[in-house]
Amino acid sequence: MNIAEIKQNVQAYISENTFASKDKITESTLVFKEGFLDSMGLVMLITFLEEKFGIETTDADMVEENFESINAISEFVSKKLA
Amino acid sequence: MNTKKPFSKDIIYLENVAEVTDKIVEKLRIDVNQKLRRFGGVVGISGGIDSSVCLGLAAKAFGPDKVTAIMMPEKDSSPESEMLARKLAAAFGVKSLHLDNITGALDGFRCYERRDEAVKRVFPEYDPRTYKMKIVVKQRGLFNNLPPMFSLTIIAPDGSQKDKPLHTNEYLQIVASSNFKQRSRMTTLYYYAEALHYAVIGTPNKHEQEQGFFVKYGDGGADVMPIGNLYKTQVYQLAKYLGVPQEIIDRTPTTDTYSAEQTQEEFFYQLPFELMDRFWYGYENGYSPEEVAKVMGETPERVAALYNNFERKRRTTDYLRMEPIRDYYRG
Repeated sequence: MNIAEIKQNVQAYISENTFASKDKITESTLVFKEGFLDSMGLVMLITFLEEKFGIETTDADMVEENFESINAISEFVSKKLA
Repeated sequence: MNTKKPFSKDIIYLENVAEVTDKIVEKLRIDVNQKLRRFGGVVGISGGIDSSVCLGLAAKAFGPDKVTAIMMPEKDSSPESEMLARKLAAAFGVKSLHLDNITGALDGFRCYERRDEAVKRVFPEYDPRTYKMKIVVKQRGLFNNLPPMFSLTIIAPDGSQKDKPLHTNEYLQIVASSNFKQRSRMTTLYYYAEALHYAVIGTPNKHEQEQGFFVKYGDGGADVMPIGNLYKTQVYQLAKYLGVPQEIIDRTPTTDTYSAEQTQEEFFYQLPFELMDRFWYGYENGYSPEEVAKVMGETPERVAALYNNFERKRRTTDYLRMEPIRDYYRG
């Protein structure tokens, strides 16, 4: 799966689960800092990423840089799949 | 003229505890007797500081003979809570003290069975008869924009621990089943309140209320919440003033929810209450991150991140504080 496809999946997931329209959350929107996702949202996001992309996240992965935006999440998944 | 005091570590302390106590007591009496038209108050006591202070306030407001204290332990409760609750009731002269063990009700709701089923999906070796369990937050710190992850800890009979991050279904099932505990307690309190024509005195403090550390229609279900505007530091001030037994004052606040011992800091707050109180005070009273950082020995960037975190926590827990939405079609 290439980065564009990953991004599309992540964007669709976040849009569906935050009930926010796609134009409200861009690829660079800080989804946690701006309050679109909370701690429950993070648990659900990790579950989604692990199930959808077959990756495993570790404690060390759990840093802001990996999850702050759709771009960051997609990059993170892409690196995990590489 | 701006009369706001400069931020300091002592700003959190109530200057006149007696006066504040009197004001709360007076309002409690008016609210319960005149607004709610109830004869007295029912307080669920756990051996913790918040419920102890509420019992003391209720005894002062209505007189000890118009207050009923209810202990509602279940099989995961700390065994020392009962002894502390008895001492507490005696300290305030409350003679009406009931012990209602809610384990049977929780068995009826399949609280333990549902919880343990989810725990076993994470750790197949978990045996609820011999193991203990708890949910903890992964301490990345509140100075971070990423919320904490929840993990499940099990403790084997030999004391060894295992820990795994929780996924959505298991986390939700464990929390939803555990919430039967608070909701069963609320139901029991309303039984006594209705049987006596009393009001239920809720025990959440300011942090629990505003950060959403309560169960909707569980410990969040009450008629009045007399310490709902007090920081934990201030609750302790009132505890000393009212004469709460020292053993209760000295106890570390716990959640008393899971079978393994768990502090509130470990499960939810991620900061000792002494620090949490001061940062929250700065946040809600409009002190700049720079001013607070200087006093608290932090950097302005970290305090700003903390403020963002508070803001997010408040916003994302609005659901818990909302009344049912009723403004639908009106013919």
